[in-house]
Amino acid sequence: MTSASLPGPLRVRPISDAEHLDFIRRRPSVSFLQTPAWAVVKSEWRGESIGWFDGDRVVGAALVLYRQLPRLKRYLAYLPEGPDIDWLGGDLARWLDPLRAHLKEQGAFGIRMGPPVVTRRWHAGTIKQAIADPVLGTLSDVPADVSDAAALAVATELTALGWKELPTEGGFSAGQPKFNFQVPLAGRTEEDVLAGMNQLWRRNIKKAAKAGVEVTTGSRDDLAEFHRVYAETAERDHFTPRPLSYFERMWDALTTEEPDRLVLYLARHEGDLVAATTMVRVGEHAWYSYGASTTAKRDVRGSNAIQWQMMRDALAAGATTYDMRGITETLDPADSHVGLIQFKVGTGGEAVEYLGEWDLPISRPLHLGFTTYMKRRG
Amino acid sequence: MSAGFELDVDTQRWRRHLDTMVEATPGIVPVIKGNGYGLGRDLLAAESTRLGLGSIAVGTYNEVPEALAAFDGDVMVLTPWRPFFDHVVLDDRVIHTMGRVADIEELAAQAPGARIILEGETSMARHGLDRHELAAAVAALGDLRVEGFAIHLPLGPAGRAGGNFTEAQSWAAALEASQVDTTTLYVSHLTPAELAALRTHRPHLDVRPRIGTSLWLGDLGALSVRATVLDAHLVARGEHIGYRQRPMPRDGTLLIISGGTSHGVGLEAPKASSGAVQRGKLLAKGGLEAAGLSLSPFTVDGKQRWFAEPPHMQASMIFLPASATAPAVGDRVDVAVRFTTATFDAVNLR
Repeated sequence: MTSASLPGPLRVRPISDAEHLDFIRRRPSVSFLQTPAWAVVKSEWRGESIGWFDGDRVVGAALVLYRQLPRLKRYLAYLPEGPDIDWLGGDLARWLDPLRAHLKEQGAFGIRMGPPVVTRRWHAGTIKQAIADPVLGTLSDVPADVSDAAALAVATELTALGWKELPTEGGFSAGQPKFNFQVPLAGRTEEDVLAGMNQLWRRNIKKAAKAGVEVTTGSRDDLAEFHRVYAETAERDHFTPRPLSYFERMWDALTTEEPDRLVLYLARHEGDLVAATTMVRVGEHAWYSYGASTTAKRDVRGSNAIQWQMMRDALAAGATTYDMRGITETLDPADSHVGLIQFKVGTGGEAVEYLGEWDLPISRPLHLGFTTYMKRRG
Repeated sequence: MSAGFELDVDTQRWRRHLDTMVEATPGIVPVIKGNGYGLGRDLLAAESTRLGLGSIAVGTYNEVPEALAAFDGDVMVLTPWRPFFDHVVLDDRVIHTMGRVADIEELAAQAPGARIILEGETSMARHGLDRHELAAAVAALGDLRVEGFAIHLPLGPAGRAGGNFTEAQSWAAALEASQVDTTTLYVSHLTPAELAALRTHRPHLDVRPRIGTSLWLGDLGALSVRATVLDAHLVARGEHIGYRQRPMPRDGTLLIISGGTSHGVGLEAPKASSGAVQRGKLLAKGGLEAAGLSLSPFTVDGKQRWFAEPPHMQASMIFLPASATAPAVGDRVDVAVRFTTATFDAVNLR
């Protein structure tokens, strides 16, 4: 997308789902939280697709979720893992000023967004070493293996434009996680990916195959079976499960948008379901989104087998990134979250740090009230 | 007999301190910069040779040629290299400090094969790379040879070395987890106990302290400064004296003593004070200064005495009240010098 003419002013206006989807299809990857289908999943928010126009050409897009303040016709405009604009091209005001104007007109008292900009990366070997070192307690303590100066400069520019980064605790904010774990797939073969894993992962994948674990993909009807295992996992790991209807709604919305946007995976051992997961893919980016496993038959390693199948399918579909999503920043072996990191680190991938989530107040009093309310809600 | 502003060194005692310290501090790199801590850089270079040390650290590139001439080993430069420096000495015995990724790229292009140290930016916030820049720094190295990693820590809570252990530990861990391919860590401002603890916690690292003041000036008893009374005149209250023809406040003796601004006498630098009491003291002193007098660094008859007028270039005029016993011409008096700003007419090894 190069143009010889001088860049004109950009305008923001709503676009149809079809226009939005058309733009996404032309991009290598966009967060699945930025697809028109995601607005359908998040039914408690009002969704709106918007586009940035340079003349009559769409050059950027976003899904905006509006959450209404109690009893007021004012909204928080939330762009999760978005917007999809040219973040590193300089002159962010050119993009963000018309965004602010549009959202203000829609009744937004504030904007929250999560620039899909990666600032730093840590390789698996580095993280493994850091976990073993008692002095290095968080990812920020550990020298990054890759640090993107241009991406880091975006933070300075956002601050100058009045945006404020949302504080996170251990890398977890109320919104999307700042630290994620990803397995790079670009230019790699199945053998490469397998060879990059640690011994335990490779052994477990082999073990599952030897035990006869079979991984298949399921249909909408299989969601109920997935949900049964998912509810069991929720009870074991002490989190509140979402209802089956949520997954059905997600299935309907995402698969309507693209037939293979959402895929359900089921791992069975001698007919018993031992693990079940969902994978979402937009272009070259595949996400492991929900996962569940039974307490029984843990030793057949259904979790490893199902992950391996998702990675292989992502690779076959042309994905360049297999995303295992959020991790906490902690590397403290005493922290219960470290087990999850260690599981992900075993894949040989990398921890990535995003720019985080940022707020721009439009109406200061309302924004302050909202932030206070959210804090109190905990 | 000379009658300048001189430093007498009790050589035996001074060397005893140096030997003890070097023996107790494995890997020590003596810092030889500026005025050579009053002793002179050449003397310190010669002493480093006597101590059998393989490397010294100088402050700036201007100090390098002299150091190379006076010392046979490696010379590391503490000030990070910059592309716009025009006194840079490219010699295989010179080790450059690098604190910016762009500088590394530049030096790698200009002087492939040069020996360097990477410096990390500590809470001093003076020079150095952020820990997340280390990978980019390594990527920019080209054919540069990394000889070590350096951190410059602030003074501790009480204004003395100490209390920096946590930061030193964190940097040592960061170095080990980084892509920087060295096991040598140069540190400054750690106490001997902190150094020992760091070595215990990081057995894979070769911790090398860079030390100036506490090495060269660690036993002040071995150093005595001699200011000589060059002349003495009886003066009466109200009598006008000196370049500025100032009236004397009382009857007394006017002493002309060797040592003036060219020796570093009368230089006022910001005081390293932090407490309210100390600030109060300075204020009180300021009050007297406002009255037109300044306290001199010369001690005569047991007390620090006042300048009769601002110090001259090579001598000072000191007022001694009639109640005090005046020294004779040719007598020596004590001077409180700040060694890092003092210049002596002679340094006498005795």
